[in-house]
Amino acid sequence: MTIDGMFMWAMILLLFSATLTLIRLLAGPTIPDRAVALDSMTTTTAGAMVAYGVITRQAVFIDVALVYAVLSYIATLYIARYLVKKRVGIACECEGEGT
Amino acid sequence: MNFEGLFWALQVMAGLGLLIAAIAAVRFKNLVSAVIAMAVFSLILSLEFYILQAPDVAIAEAGVGACLTTAMYLLAIKKTTDEEVIE
Repeated sequence: MTIDGMFMWAMILLLFSATLTLIRLLAGPTIPDRAVALDSMTTTTAGAMVAYGVITRQAVFIDVALVYAVLSYIATLYIARYLVKKRVGIACECEGEGT
Repeated sequence: MNFEGLFWALQVMAGLGLLIAAIAAVRFKNLVSAVIAMAVFSLILSLEFYILQAPDVAIAEAGVGACLTTAMYLLAIKKTTDEEVIE
């Protein structure tokens, strides 16, 4: 098996796991499930983009994965701030009320 | 497996993923879930631009779709209600 074949199979497996997280995102009952699934899917797809750039041997393709990894962090941060503001997923409301 | 077959399989998978994400973004009743589905749509669209050998367009789509759109929709939803109101 050549190096290109190895990277190709790595990219296929990464995209398959991204498909599994897409199913989790479509079926997730709560919003934190979907936020974590979005973050996982973005990271996995960025890895697949790096593998594709290695296969086609073009260095400019790595920049797309870098930019997407940085910017998806900001999107996840905003979703997490929204969930903290709405107090989603907090089990006990009795602590930290008076602060 | 050769590279051409992988290329066409990726095209078909990206098209199906775009369709599923768009239908989910329209059909979700919770607005935060719809915004997350739109972020997934932007991710798969960026991957599609990437496969079609246009990395600059993919970078622009990443900046607009992943960062700006999600942040501004969530800031707007935070000031209003997060369930779809049917008149």
